[in-house]
Amino acid sequence: MPQRPLPPSSSSPAVTKGLFILWAVPGQGGRPLQPPTLQQIQALVRHMAEDAQELFAFYEEDQRLAINHLCRTNRPPEWLRGPVMGPGGLRGLRGTMARMAQVLQDITRHQRDLNPPGAEILRRLASTHLKVRGLLSNLEGLFPAPSLPPGRWAPPGPTAPTKVFRQKLEGCRILWSYARFMAKLSTQLEARSRREKRRSRRGSRPPARS
Amino acid sequence: MMNHFVVLAVLLPLRTCYTTYSQQESIVFPVKYLNISKDLALQQLLVEWDVGKSAHDAKLAMSFEIQVRRIDETTTVWTEFHNVTLDKSGKPLHWIWNSDLPLECMSHLVRIRSKAEASKIWSQWSPWETVLGLDTSNNSRPQIFPNEKIVEEGSDITLCCIGREGQIIKEFFLVPAVHVFNRTNSQVGLLTVKNVAHQGAPHITVYCRESCNEEQCYDHAVFFVGKPPDTPSDFSCQTQDMRIVTCTWSQGGDTYLYGRHSPKYTLSEEFSQKMVPCTVSCSDQCSCSWDIGQQRIYNITVTVENPLGKKTATDVFDVTHRTLQSCVNGRKQLHSKVYPAAPFQLWEESTDTEITLYWKHQNKGIELFCQTEVLQPDGKVELHNCSDTHVRYASMTLGGLQPYTEYTARVHCGAAKHFWRWSEWSEARTIRTKEATPSGKLDIWREITSVLGGRNVTLFWKQTPSFRANGKNISYEVTWEKVEDGSKPESVSFSSVCNSTRISIDNHSYRISIMAKNNVNYSLPSVLIIPRATGARELKEEQVNGTDDGIFISWEPKHIYDNYIIDWCNYPMLQPCDLQWKRFGPNTSSALINSAAFVPGVRYNFHIYGSVANRASLLEKKTGYLRELPPLHDPTVEKVELTFNAVTLSWDSYPTNESQSGFVRGYNVYVSPIQEDCSLKGSKKHVLPDDSVLCKYTIENPEEKRYTVKHLLPNTKYKLVVKAYTGGGETPIVNFIYIDTPFNSNMLYLLVLLVIVPALVAAICRWKMKWLKECCCPVIPSPNKSKVLSFKEYKIGSGKVLKISDCIPDMLAVDNKAEAQKLHPWSQLSSAPTEDKIDGPSSSWIYPNESEERDFTPTPTPQTHIWFENFAYSSHLGVESEPETLEASKPELSVVLYQPHYYFDIFNEDAASTPRETAGRKSSLRYISQTDVHCLGRGL
Repeated sequence: MPQRPLPPSSSSPAVTKGLFILWAVPGQGGRPLQPPTLQQIQALVRHMAEDAQELFAFYEEDQRLAINHLCRTNRPPEWLRGPVMGPGGLRGLRGTMARMAQVLQDITRHQRDLNPPGAEILRRLASTHLKVRGLLSNLEGLFPAPSLPPGRWAPPGPTAPTKVFRQKLEGCRILWSYARFMAKLSTQLEARSRREKRRSRRGSRPPARS
Repeated sequence: MMNHFVVLAVLLPLRTCYTTYSQQESIVFPVKYLNISKDLALQQLLVEWDVGKSAHDAKLAMSFEIQVRRIDETTTVWTEFHNVTLDKSGKPLHWIWNSDLPLECMSHLVRIRSKAEASKIWSQWSPWETVLGLDTSNNSRPQIFPNEKIVEEGSDITLCCIGREGQIIKEFFLVPAVHVFNRTNSQVGLLTVKNVAHQGAPHITVYCRESCNEEQCYDHAVFFVGKPPDTPSDFSCQTQDMRIVTCTWSQGGDTYLYGRHSPKYTLSEEFSQKMVPCTVSCSDQCSCSWDIGQQRIYNITVTVENPLGKKTATDVFDVTHRTLQSCVNGRKQLHSKVYPAAPFQLWEESTDTEITLYWKHQNKGIELFCQTEVLQPDGKVELHNCSDTHVRYASMTLGGLQPYTEYTARVHCGAAKHFWRWSEWSEARTIRTKEATPSGKLDIWREITSVLGGRNVTLFWKQTPSFRANGKNISYEVTWEKVEDGSKPESVSFSSVCNSTRISIDNHSYRISIMAKNNVNYSLPSVLIIPRATGARELKEEQVNGTDDGIFISWEPKHIYDNYIIDWCNYPMLQPCDLQWKRFGPNTSSALINSAAFVPGVRYNFHIYGSVANRASLLEKKTGYLRELPPLHDPTVEKVELTFNAVTLSWDSYPTNESQSGFVRGYNVYVSPIQEDCSLKGSKKHVLPDDSVLCKYTIENPEEKRYTVKHLLPNTKYKLVVKAYTGGGETPIVNFIYIDTPFNSNMLYLLVLLVIVPALVAAICRWKMKWLKECCCPVIPSPNKSKVLSFKEYKIGSGKVLKISDCIPDMLAVDNKAEAQKLHPWSQLSSAPTEDKIDGPSSSWIYPNESEERDFTPTPTPQTHIWFENFAYSSHLGVESEPETLEASKPELSVVLYQPHYYFDIFNEDAASTPRETAGRKSSLRYISQTDVHCLGRGL
């Protein structure tokens, strides 16, 4: 059953989150595995951008890292730097999301040493990890490339710092960079959507997929 | 000589002994070798030193004083005496010191001196031996020590931050903030936390900054505050099937250490000296299971460990003997270790009063003792024990049950010998017993209504607490028959939902019976005898009072009755009402009737019957409220009769019956002028919430529905209200009726009489002055022209004559002719002698006119005249003395002089009389009434 695309202006968190549940896990609720539309991805990215900002704010406060804005680095890791959508459009996003999913797992593992089971930070990290995996899954559905160069977005070896504070700080900085990345991505997708609508109104047929 | 030699021989050994002793006391063995190293993991200083070989060879017992100092502190931080007996091996000596300050923080110095136990002299101190801290190294950024240390809650921790060479530590603090003792402003910052507590945060972060702001000026660290694990409690191992052993325990409180620092559990078996091959899983409880294998005796130890400590618990058992020692933290107990599996596959057989329950169990070869739990319909739980087990199944019979009743049963078992613990419960099974004849009798009652030619009897029935339907399809059969002639009974059946019916009977006596029936049989009948119809006896209804617990009813008991029945309606307004009844024993004479349906403000009627041999007779009637409420409606004043000082109110249609929410006890009439507070005579004061005062009149007879409020003021606006009151009081005063008392008409009449009429007369007089003057007081001497004052009845010629007999002499004028002649020279003109007389309503005056006396000159003619003064005339004299009037009268005056000379007040003779008059009166007295005077005057 084809999914009804979200209106671009829809920003109700409840609606977005509800749709996200349907999208996040392929085949959720008996839904056949169909490639998502661009509008769906755009709505999902918008929701993830909000979620990333909330996660960073919570992490920074929870880990007592708000002093001197230690986390808010202007030097994000290379894989989270722009341009967000390169010449390949969303195609290049797969690698970033795969890497992010791995990093979120690492952060979660570190935080398990610091928090009791069921702690709020663990719950939020798991939720964000699920969203990243959902977007990754959608991108894979949208761009069913047979194979990608191995290791291109395979997570690198364990280079993470070993000291607890360094781990916390690294995690915080990555979440900050991720939040900014997703915000930029969302903005670019919105702009692109507007452009395509204008083009559509002028009679030109918008491309089905990027 | 000989003596001298002996003395020397004695002294020489003594000196030798003394010398040897003195040498031993002064022998010292200084530290010849001192080496210090540090174990940073354990934060220990390792001190190694040695003394000379001779000391080892002598196996001396020695003492060493060891001092520890820090480089930036002048005082020694630690001093300890270390006693050791040397041996010939010549191994160096060792001492370990635990530092409370991380050894990285600064350099530590150690020195030692020694003393043989036999000696009194300490050796010289060794030189200070130094172990360097990191403060002397060339760091690229500040460094915090210790980092990621796990501290037990309640202990102390000291941290340092070592700045780079030449840098000063500017900030050194913890997040979340805790109270610390810190020292900064040097290259090494120190921070001590006493009695650290877990503050809800998973860890504490330490921040350090030099006096610069670049990234290399910062360092951060964390440390954890936790607790050692609790000893595993309730540790025990058991088997249900002799194949798998499961150990369980409670994991204790939170250690605040998570992830890789969380408590780790391991199980080991002492006899085999092996770790138990099981995987621990913890949720509410921790458990670990493994195959028994060939081993029968186990000594299992569970160890829980985290970075702050280790605890153990042990359980020892032999699955072969099943009764074994259990040891937890050193306490030994005897336990059976068989924990049977739960019974399964339950089935049953049942009668109306018994259930036989069957089940299977897995523990073949183990003699079991089982227990059945039976849940009764009322929620009570009964336990039944059973040891009757067969090879294939077990069973238990539960007796004494109620027919057609659901019971829920489940079973658990334990080892019959060396019982240790029960198995889990089997699945619960719900079983219904078979049907049986209804037990007990129905409680029945009736309501009789007379109709033309007979009676309608409404029959009611209900199940008593002792009644049991004992079946599924219950129905009721009603039978009635004449008592006297034994005619054929009639009967009707009703379904279980019915609880009443109406039958019509004639005026004969009837016997009515009602039975319950189920699929098995009928219950015993309940019987009522309806007596022959007789004239209804009128009973007076008595009022009763309600309480918080119900309505209290009492009656006069009579010994002839074997029970009493009270009936009433829970909803009296319903037609037909839902009749309720309650039976009481023969020794009862009162009851508290309550019902969930009872509400305040509703009148309930109770009938009390006495019953003997199923025949009931009405004894008393009661009526009352659970609680009286104020009347719902105020009396409507239908008629107002108003006078200027009273108002009569009536509210004849106001009901005082059961429609009221209480017994109407009377009425209050409230009155007040609108503009002011009321203070009417005979009333009571009633103050409203707004502090205005009303007059209150109370009528204590509810049937008296008319009242007159008196003593009102005329022409005043009043507000009034009539309120009925019950035992619940009266409603607040909200609405008034308003009246205006009219003017007092009597006052109006009086006013008219006193003011308006005279004013009108005066106005008319003024308007018709001339006419009136002519009419009433014509110009003298023609008074007879007065139409008012003339008397037409008696005329002589043109004059008017009054009969003497009609005149009542009430004034006497006295005159002397001679004197009159002398005093009144103008009187010569008079034709006949007369006396004048004035009679007024209150006084009569005769007075001289002195001025005129001066104006007229007396004449010598001796002639006597009598003059009369008319009151009306004289009273007008003054008024008429106007110039024109006088002018008009002049001609007449010139002809006939008419001038009264003297006036005497006969009532005040002294005042009016002159000496001249007094003399005349003595000589000649003539009595003339005023009327006479007129009559006479006019006759002249």
